[in-house]
Order: sequence, then structure tokens, then C-alpha cells
Amino acid sequence: MTQEGNLNGLPREKLAEVLESFRDPDVFNAVTGPWKSRVVWQDGMRARAYMRNHQVDMDEPGDLTATDVAASAHEQLLSAIGSCMTVGFVVNATKQGVRIHDLEIAVEGYFDNIRKWAGVEDEGNPGYGKISAKCFVRADADEDTLREIWRLAVEGSPVTQSVAHPTSVETDFEMVG
Amino acid sequence: MPDTPLFPVTVVGSWPRSTDLVRALRRKEAGEMTLDEFNAVADGEVLACIRAQEDAGVDIISDGEQRRDNFYSFAVDKLTGMRLMKVSELLDYSRDRARMEEVLRALDVPSFAIKSPIVIDRIGKRHGLALDELAFMREHTDRQIKVPLPGPYMLTRSSWFEGLSDRVYPDPEDLAKDVVAILREEIIALRDQGCDFVQLDEPILSQVVFGEESTETFMCAALPNRRDPTDELEMAVRLMNQTLEGITGIRTGVHICRGNWSRKEEVLLTGNYGPMLPYLTQMNIDQLVLECATPRAGEMEVFKEYSNEKEIGLGVVNPRTDDIEPAEQIVDRVKELLQYFDPDKIYLNPDCGFGTFAERNVNTHDMAAKKMKVIAEAAEKLRAEYR
Repeated sequence: MTQEGNLNGLPREKLAEVLESFRDPDVFNAVTGPWKSRVVWQDGMRARAYMRNHQVDMDEPGDLTATDVAASAHEQLLSAIGSCMTVGFVVNATKQGVRIHDLEIAVEGYFDNIRKWAGVEDEGNPGYGKISAKCFVRADADEDTLREIWRLAVEGSPVTQSVAHPTSVETDFEMVG
Repeated sequence: MPDTPLFPVTVVGSWPRSTDLVRALRRKEAGEMTLDEFNAVADGEVLACIRAQEDAGVDIISDGEQRRDNFYSFAVDKLTGMRLMKVSELLDYSRDRARMEEVLRALDVPSFAIKSPIVIDRIGKRHGLALDELAFMREHTDRQIKVPLPGPYMLTRSSWFEGLSDRVYPDPEDLAKDVVAILREEIIALRDQGCDFVQLDEPILSQVVFGEESTETFMCAALPNRRDPTDELEMAVRLMNQTLEGITGIRTGVHICRGNWSRKEEVLLTGNYGPMLPYLTQMNIDQLVLECATPRAGEMEVFKEYSNEKEIGLGVVNPRTDDIEPAEQIVDRVKELLQYFDPDKIYLNPDCGFGTFAERNVNTHDMAAKKMKVIAEAAEKLRAEYR
């Protein structure tokens, strides 16, 4: 199971160093935040999010009268959860020297009361009331080892835990011009 | 060739793969193991599979498809012009990814686990499709041998993918001409080298007839572009008859089931063979190898108007369960069919293989052997009654 050098597309020794450096308060502060996204309305229901030097477009399905040229924000939230779990799985597997051949996470969610978003009801939670994620993996390790890696990935996932636990969202507003 | 008894017992093809074999298969695919090294592993597994079938009393045996990734994708190793692609890779080319996602959800499978041989260039024979498998079997058993091959419709439909294949073959019908020629040549060679029974697998016909949009199985990557089921069935009949035209001296069969990728019965297709039988009986083949052991297959009465038109390879056990069907239950099921077919027209087999996809065994080696043994027991009871 133990392999030196590059594993799962990651430099194993360097990765271990980087992870270990999180004990350093300066590193810890730097990676704690703030993490930023600037979202700019394009037209209709389309928006573009700018994050560092990256951008992601978002839209809504055509049956909501939108143009459906990109995934919607709520779908991208599911993707963010799955992606964050993926990163966690690969990092933990690589730390343990486990070679991954294929990894896939299927995420789905149901809104509690989407009528509130539509403005046809005032009560309830328009957000996801339940999200489920299933991990499929083919890797060079036994099932117990892989289940433990999955547990670490889920419990250590910043995005997953942001959704799973109460997270305060402070909002502000300014009318310009 | 040994005499064929009444109610011959046979398999549909696949046998569960061991972990070592799957690992070797993946290493071969990754280029970390040579074909010879892989075959050294697979030879031992095939021998174990042969012995298990012989010990269980199977009359017509297969090599358990131990050398294959699955019942049709192995064509990639045997033909030029094809590439084995995961559904996860095909997603990049698909025009309807949302529907493919629905299928993955319905099947509860990851996109990396399902692979299709996709035509990316003009196809040609590299080696025989199954001649090496047959040669090894012939060396190691005196039993009659069944070799399963992907049927011409399936091989055409599963390997033609818009955006990848149409650069060489503008549409599936163009590809079908080469597929038919290759399969014809293969069946003749198998016959000449001592194969007793060639089974052409066309399971996607169930998908064509019974599959809702959300339950398609990816056995046929091109089905997103499927046409009317009648057109598809007519195409399947035409290609089968072109493939087998004038070929004698070998038993031929077509296998059609409703899916064998999951032990969850509710995600498999449901429906009797009624809508298909008018087409299947037009195929110039000896035997229909059918799934009939589960309630999903419906009633035997659908065979009434096709009495004795073909031999029936009757599926009498569910390959996906941990229960062993009682021999009496199998006998009773056969007797239902005996209302419409003579005893010498009925073969006994499981509904499908025990490991259609190398990484998704639907049962264990031991359970497969037990299920085959109970079929053989049932066959003995029937022989005693109908000899």
C-alpha cells in the first residue's frame, strides 16, 4: 500500500509537508480565510462568479424561463460538496499511500419548500432539507481502509460541514447611484 | 462430441471473477501486465470454472468469460478500430448528459464502472474474437462448448457513438456491414475448430422494448439516439440473419434478458417476451436463450402461439440471489413450457450469467456452482419422466 513519490497525481511527500504546516499559526491563518467570490449578474437568471483568477457561470433551467446555458447555483452547491469530498478522499488516500483508480461521488438533494423561493408561500425553508452523497471508488486497498478514508473525507470536508452545520451568513446591502 | 441428453443443462456464459483476476484484468488494461502474463492468471481461473461446471453436471459449458471485461467490451482487444471507453469519458461527447445521469441514478452505478467498446476507426479483425478461448477449452474438457459472442445488433448499437464513430461510419447501418462480416467469419471459424454452440447476446433488445428513458442501461451507448422499437427490432432480425446466412453445423442461439447489472430486482427491466417473439422467431437461429425464472419475465403463455418454432434455453434460476431454487420448482417451470414445446426443444440454463461485468459479480463461485447443480438435478428428474 505504501508508495513513495507521486501518487494519485499528487507529490506525496510534498503534500505531507504542506498538510503538516497547517499546525503553524501563520499558515493556519492564511488558509482559514477570507475565501472570496464575486458574483456579477449577466442577464436574465445568468450570473458569473469570479474566484481568484477563475470564473464559473450559472444559470437556471429553461422551464424557469431562464436560458439554461450553465448549471444553477443550487446544483453547483451539490457539486461543491462532491468536489470537496473528492479532494478530501484523494488527500487522505494519498497520505495513506493508497492508489486510487477511479473515484466518483453522486450527490443529490431535495428542497424543503421551494415555494418560498417562488414567493407563493412565506413559511418554510427554501433550501435543501436533505442532501445525500454516495461514493464509488476503485482503489488498491481493502474495504475497511477505504471506508475509513471516506469517513475522514466527509468529516473533514469544509464545504460539506458548512452545509451540514449551522453557518451564519451575514448579509449587507448598498444601493449604488 | 458427446451425445446431448434431453433437457441439456448449460450456462448463459459468465461466471464470477475472482479478485485476483479482476486485478490482473485492470493491470493488463493499464499496460502493467502483458497479455501472456494475464492469460497465465486467467488460465487457472478458466480451469476452475470448467471443473465447477463439470462437477455440477453442466452438459454444455463455457469458459465463464473469465478473460473478458464484459460480454461485449472484450471486442476491443480483438478488433482494430475500437477503444474501450468509460461512460465517464463518453459524458464529454454526449449531447444529452442529463439523461445519462438519470440512467446512472436509476442503475445506482458509477460512470467509471460501465465501459463500452466505441468505434473510432474502421474496424477489422486483430485476432479471432473467441478462437483463443475455444482452443483452451477444447484442450481441457470433453464437454460440449458454448461460446457467447456479442450479437450483431448489440455490437453495432453499443459501439457506434455520435461524435466519435460517425467520422468513419456515417451511421450505424454502415458499421453494421463490417460487424456482420466479422461475426460471420468468426462463427464459421468457431464451428470449424469444434465449438458446439454459439450464443449471440442481444440483451439490449429488452432495453429497446421495455426500457423507459430512465432505465436504459448503457449496454448500448448509442441508444440516446434510438429510433422506434419496431425499427430497432427489424434491424436486429436483419443483422442476425445476414450474420448467420447459410451457416450450418453449429447450434446457434440468441440470448435476451432484462439486465444483470444489479441484485436489486426493482432496477431491472420488467415485461414478458410477447412483444419480441414475433421478431425473434424470424431470426434464422436454433435457440432462444431466455430469462424466465423471475416474475419480471411474465407468464409462459406468451410462447403458446410459437409452439416448437425454436428451441428454448429456459432460464430456470435467478443468478443474482442467495437462495437455491428447489429442483421441484425448476421441474414445475419446465412443465409449464412443456405445454407448448416438446422435451427435445428445451434446454435449461440460468436467467443470465453470474458475472456479466467483471467488477460486478452478481453471485459467488460457490453459489453459481450450487445453482448449476440444482438445475442438473432438475434435468435428471425430467429425463426420468420424459425419456
